[in-house]
Amino acid sequence: MAEVVFSNVQKKFGTFTAVHGLDLNINEGEFVSLLGPSGCGKTTTLRMLAGLEFPSSGDIRIGSRVVNDLAPGERDIAMVFQSYALYPHMTVGDNMAYPLKKRGVKKAEREAAVAKTAELLQLTPLLSRKPRQLSGGQQQRVALGRALVRDPQVFLLDEPLSNLDAKLRGYMRVELVELHRRLGRTMVYVTHDQLEAMTMSDRIAVMEGGKLQQFAPPAEVYAEPANRFVASFIGTPGMTLMDGDLTRQDGCWTFSAPGLSLPVGPLKDIAQPGPACFGVRPEHVRIGEGPVSGLVQVVEKTGHENIVIIGLEGGQRLTGRVPAPQSWTIGESVRLSFDTDFAHIFAAGTHGERLNLTQAPRSANHLNLTTVKTETQS
Amino acid sequence: MMPTFKKILFNLFAWSIVLAVAFPLFWMLVTSVKPGFELFRRPPTILPETWTLEHYWKLLSETNFLIYFRNSIILSTATTLVVVAVATLGAFSLVRFKYRGRESLAFLVLFTYLLPSVVLIIPLYLLMVGLGLSNTIFSLVIAYTTFALPYALWLLRSFMAGIPEDLESAALCDGATRMGAFRDVILPQLLPGIISTALFTFILSWNEYLYALVLVNSDASRPLTTGVMNMLISSFNIEWSLLMAASVMMSVPLIIVFAFLQSYLTRGFGAGGVKG
Ligand SMILES: Nc1ncnc2c1ncn2[C@@H]1O[C@H](COP(=O)(O)OP(=O)(O)OP(=O)(O)O)[C@@H](O)[C@H]1O
Ligand SMILES: [Mg+2]
Repeated sequence: MAEVVFSNVQKKFGTFTAVHGLDLNINEGEFVSLLGPSGCGKTTTLRMLAGLEFPSSGDIRIGSRVVNDLAPGERDIAMVFQSYALYPHMTVGDNMAYPLKKRGVKKAEREAAVAKTAELLQLTPLLSRKPRQLSGGQQQRVALGRALVRDPQVFLLDEPLSNLDAKLRGYMRVELVELHRRLGRTMVYVTHDQLEAMTMSDRIAVMEGGKLQQFAPPAEVYAEPANRFVASFIGTPGMTLMDGDLTRQDGCWTFSAPGLSLPVGPLKDIAQPGPACFGVRPEHVRIGEGPVSGLVQVVEKTGHENIVIIGLEGGQRLTGRVPAPQSWTIGESVRLSFDTDFAHIFAAGTHGERLNLTQAPRSANHLNLTTVKTETQS
Repeated sequence: MMPTFKKILFNLFAWSIVLAVAFPLFWMLVTSVKPGFELFRRPPTILPETWTLEHYWKLLSETNFLIYFRNSIILSTATTLVVVAVATLGAFSLVRFKYRGRESLAFLVLFTYLLPSVVLIIPLYLLMVGLGLSNTIFSLVIAYTTFALPYALWLLRSFMAGIPEDLESAALCDGATRMGAFRDVILPQLLPGIISTALFTFILSWNEYLYALVLVNSDASRPLTTGVMNMLISSFNIEWSLLMAASVMMSVPLIIVFAFLQSYLTRGFGAGGVKG
């Protein structure tokens, strides 16, 4: 009943288009992240959903209502701001009671609801303080509390964790996922942090330059990036992308770059011989033996694994990832091969479409999300 | 050695400035309580040999002083209310609403200050006559508003710009109307700005002389500044004792206002430290 639908929504500021024809279908109860680099239109999209900004064209629907002309207060949403936006002159308790007060909830009920939410977020001892007497993490919880105190159809969160230190952020991620599972409400979460998006979301909407690039579950965004932008944006360390040429002989495609020639799997019909891009994730580079040779340039030790950067003969650089005990010394010459099942071919250009016809096989042990996998969704 | 010397020098300097500013005030106070015969004695007495409140009594009982005083209070309070109300809403509009020519409008408002006030007096006077308002306190309220409003607008505009937009957005999301958000969230945040604007406007209207001189010349609606001048200073004689007593009493309201609101002001300046 409270799904959220964007139909061909566009937002212009003067002559500048911040959001281009956005189509997005968010299911009821889903946790969706809007992920993208700074300035890509995430906040603008969220503010349009909140009613703080009006679309230049297109429709936004929450549940069965088209909300284009509704004021924020009439949309049954709650929003958490990146800056928290706590009312400085009100106590924590009054801050949390404010949305209830504005909706005409009686004082006794208000107090009960605030007490309950404060309990949930461990804010009870802080209720009579002013926001400026709180730490950043506490302010963040109050901002969350002000949203949770009601039971809105949709929660909107704009980078709520970005002002917290790394440890607290990790903790709050788990808390938020837990909260989402308990409440079962639709949540739209804006972030530029892929780790947050990957760990928390049911689906991720990757945006760039005001355009939706891909809308899919985290594993799919990782394993089958829709285009070169998504491929390069998702994953740390990033996917190695090499420019080269596609040639076709007897119906079989070959990708070649200086010092490199690789057969590639079946491609979509739109694939054309000519410039293209080859992409492979670090975990799908096999170092040790194979047809390609290169020199180890950098080894980064993270503890449980080593990131190896290898320079190929053609001058390209390639990132590989191996479990910790294996290591190489800088300057060592190595041979390597690629797990071609997991390699990608993209059309030319920064947003070149992924051309692979078959979906990459998705088996858990190959899908190396290591850092991002563990504390995922319910 | 050196720092102590520097400190002494610095203190000497500071105190000499304080003295230079405070002495006329002190002299005003002293003169107002000296009996007439002691006033021109040579050498002058620093502290009066005999204290008297006769000048104050004379002012209050035998002259129009109280009428002027009442006029000044009404005039300054009304001007302050009008200016603060209009400037607050105007600043809100200039900062938060989006419409064409918003910036130019803000600058245009400042244009008033490019014209010397002498140039504006005659047209204003004719306008007031045309409106049938000449010789009323109300005409002065309008006149003072014309020059206090632009500054007040700019002052409040910068205070308003310092209030994060997210606060208002949050209130809207929490179910407040635009007006409700303004009242619940913006106004409390703006309070220090409103108080300093009010203070500024009140002092400006209280001390204004030129417009009052030209626009009003009936004793019923004269404010203190022109009233006292008119009453005590003539071409032949200056009633020094009465003048000083009047000056002391004219300063009292400002001192009271300042004493009350100054704490608000400093509190306001310290309050901006919250994230968001
Ligand atoms: N009120 C506005 N007037 C003009 N341009 C705007 C306005 N608000 C946003 N923009 C522009 O729209 C684009 C998208 O802004 P938006 O705030 O949505 O980015 P974002 O994805 O949230 O970025 P960030 O991660 O930095 O918060 C930016 O280029 C920004 O400059
Ligand atoms: Mg943003």
